[in-house]
Amino acid sequence: MSLAVMLKVLRRHALMPALVLLQVALACAILCNVLFLVWQRVQPMVAPSGLAEDELVLVDQITSRVRPWTGADVRAGQLALSRTPGVRYASAALGLPMIGTMMVDYTLQSPRGVKVGVNGYFGEGLVKSLGLQLVAGRDFLPSEYQEFGVNQPSSGVPDTGSTESIIITESLAKQLFGDQPAVGQILQVPDEPDGHGYQVVGVVRHLMRNQLALATDGRADNTMLTARRVGDTAMVGYAVRIDPAMREVALRGIRAAINEAFGPLLSEDIPVKITTYAERRHDALRGARAALWLFAGVTMAVIVVTAIGIMGLTGFWVQRRTRQIGIQRALGARRSQVLRYFMVENLLIAGAGVLVGMALAYVANGVLMRHYELPRLPWSYLPIGGALVLLLGQLAAWSPARRAAAVPPVVATRSL
Amino acid sequence: MFGYYLDLAVHSLRRNKVLTALMVLAIAVGIGASMTTLTVVHLLSGDPLPGRSHTIFYPQVDASPKGKDSDEPLDMLDYRSAVDLWSARRADRQALLVQSQVRLNTADAGKPAVMTMMLSATTDFFTMFDVPFRYGGPWSEQDDASRARLAVISDDLNQKLFAGGNSVGRTLRLRDSDVRIVGVLKPWRPSPQFYAVRGGRFAAGDTSDFYARPEDVITPFFTGLDINDGNFQQFTCWHMPARPGHLQDAPCVWVALWVQIKDAAQVAAYRRFVADYAAQQQAIGRFTHAGNTRLRDLMGWLDFNGVLPGNVRLQAWLAVAFLVICLVNMVGLLLAKFLRRSGEIGLRRALGASRAAVFAQYMVESGLIGLIGGAFGWLLTLVGLWLIRQQPVAYADLVRLDVPMFLLTFVAAIGASLLAGMLPAVRACRVVPAWQLKTL
Repeated sequence: MSLAVMLKVLRRHALMPALVLLQVALACAILCNVLFLVWQRVQPMVAPSGLAEDELVLVDQITSRVRPWTGADVRAGQLALSRTPGVRYASAALGLPMIGTMMVDYTLQSPRGVKVGVNGYFGEGLVKSLGLQLVAGRDFLPSEYQEFGVNQPSSGVPDTGSTESIIITESLAKQLFGDQPAVGQILQVPDEPDGHGYQVVGVVRHLMRNQLALATDGRADNTMLTARRVGDTAMVGYAVRIDPAMREVALRGIRAAINEAFGPLLSEDIPVKITTYAERRHDALRGARAALWLFAGVTMAVIVVTAIGIMGLTGFWVQRRTRQIGIQRALGARRSQVLRYFMVENLLIAGAGVLVGMALAYVANGVLMRHYELPRLPWSYLPIGGALVLLLGQLAAWSPARRAAAVPPVVATRSL
Repeated sequence: MFGYYLDLAVHSLRRNKVLTALMVLAIAVGIGASMTTLTVVHLLSGDPLPGRSHTIFYPQVDASPKGKDSDEPLDMLDYRSAVDLWSARRADRQALLVQSQVRLNTADAGKPAVMTMMLSATTDFFTMFDVPFRYGGPWSEQDDASRARLAVISDDLNQKLFAGGNSVGRTLRLRDSDVRIVGVLKPWRPSPQFYAVRGGRFAAGDTSDFYARPEDVITPFFTGLDINDGNFQQFTCWHMPARPGHLQDAPCVWVALWVQIKDAAQVAAYRRFVADYAAQQQAIGRFTHAGNTRLRDLMGWLDFNGVLPGNVRLQAWLAVAFLVICLVNMVGLLLAKFLRRSGEIGLRRALGASRAAVFAQYMVESGLIGLIGGAFGWLLTLVGLWLIRQQPVAYADLVRLDVPMFLLTFVAAIGASLLAGMLPAVRACRVVPAWQLKTL
């Protein structure tokens, strides 16, 4: 049967198709937005961390109750940790992956004027302690490290005339410099107009930032390491890389080493946290997981309700036309043709609904974006959501269409 | 007539149980989801001090040398500005507030020490915010000035430590100091914990911590500074403090000042007083600018901080959109249901029923579906609220269905299904009797 005839039938009985269309449009609008929200939450979960995850133990919240730790305290702790059995490397650090208690953020500006917001991690030897993979350039030289703490310039501006060395990630290098090699390039921090600039000395494959809310849309790796040694500070943490075969021994040793190094001065009020990377990651992503369950629930509910609606309406639609179907069958239409007719009809209605729905999704996202600090829905979500809804429509129409195809030709002869 | 239509409706709903079940399910799920989220919105966006919030104000001056007149001032006060404004006593009541984490040793019980939040406030805190006491009462202004070692404890803590008895006169050990209990509160759970709201504009919608429980221990302001010295957290600093946790002389903001001004005419005078204070501080060189002082009232301050968590608002939007889907779904199913009975309608019309009568009959049927859907929707709302109570959010224990929301559940369910039934009922009463009778 030709498309023109199909459209004519739909136009003549416009109410039923219009309702299906409306349902499909609403479902499409909601699903596009929910899929987008899901993806926003999933990205920090699937982004590669770049770390030696199995070997990493994170220690933080080492807080003093009397005076800030001095650079010497911090180094003594680092030494004690690195001598602990089962520990390969240890670095004192300000800012660590998956830990939100201390975050350092910068805006980096490339010579081409590209500005990128990044998180920074400070600490000596972090490339080794975190198990990062260098893909270009080199690690910091021991002579490059400068001490950073309360009594050093607090704005973070290097006080020598030279530039400060930094290591960035591959993704960050791409954003800042395009295809040019990053090593040797100079970056500025626009918030520090009298800054002397930062020179890229190395590039690592991945390193996840600790501001997880921003780890979306290709920004998960917007991270840099600076050649700074932790100086005097109120609170310090350590990245400790252990031999995974000796995990239990190492964890016990780490606790003992911390108690020995900082012991009498440790604040009794704020307990030191010693956890494996996996535990930290689990805690840090708790909120995102709860949100995912909620969105999964919404998606399921929308799908079920829409499927019920389409099935019910199509079923009624088929029932009303039982006699016409019988006539068609009597005149020689095959079962497969009847089946195909109803499936194509559903595709047509749902297709129109999806078009309306995609426009609606975009408008709804615009409203949400203006009022609720959501990012812009990328165009690419619209066809994905649309395809999903079309598939849903076809599945829902399948059973009523089968019923239509099963109408025997003899119906045509009844009550005529 | 209504009874007869009800009878017909029950009969009709029984005839096609699957279709009826689907419709009831659609309305129940839609109402359940919407009412769950709307209840949360309702509970979280209310006035924490009904009847008095318009007299409560939050003065702000900007001590940061990094600020500008065109910027919002920082969300809290530096110690000196806070104490200066407080001790001027230009408002009817004024309270300095600061929170800190403190170690609580239970002096007598052999229980281990716990970390708890302590609020340190001057005595007007209790009268200004109408905090209810079970035993004892607030301390005096004299106690504030003399840094008396006193405390008021929450009902929760009193249950935990003293099994709910009158513990006035007993002793608590806070860090390394003994304090005497002078008052025990009744259960008090403002929503949000309005006096501790700040920094909402930096929270990117993640504001569920504004709904935390009030602190278990409340001490006089200056007493708290003494006994918990070194454990105070800044809101922000423009230089690192020389001694962490000791902020009295640090370049940091960390103290909140709340004032009550009962006479609306006095508000302008107080606003001018705050501006004059800032100008005077600029004149003596302590401030770099004085043009961005603020005096927001309580609800204005909560609005400014966007206290309703972003994901709660988002969930409410999603739920309402979902309800719309459910309604469209119901329109379709009702239409299918009603028009299947075209023959019956034709017969009624031929026997003299008016269009209005047919319309009424089908509206009654829609309303009945709404009522049943509402009942199931109410159950689903209870389930939804239970799920929210299981979430690790600060407002979890606040979430319950109150009477207005319970009623709204049914009103919304019946209203929604009447709305959904309108179009199908109109179509049904337009059925031409003659056509239908022919096919009977």
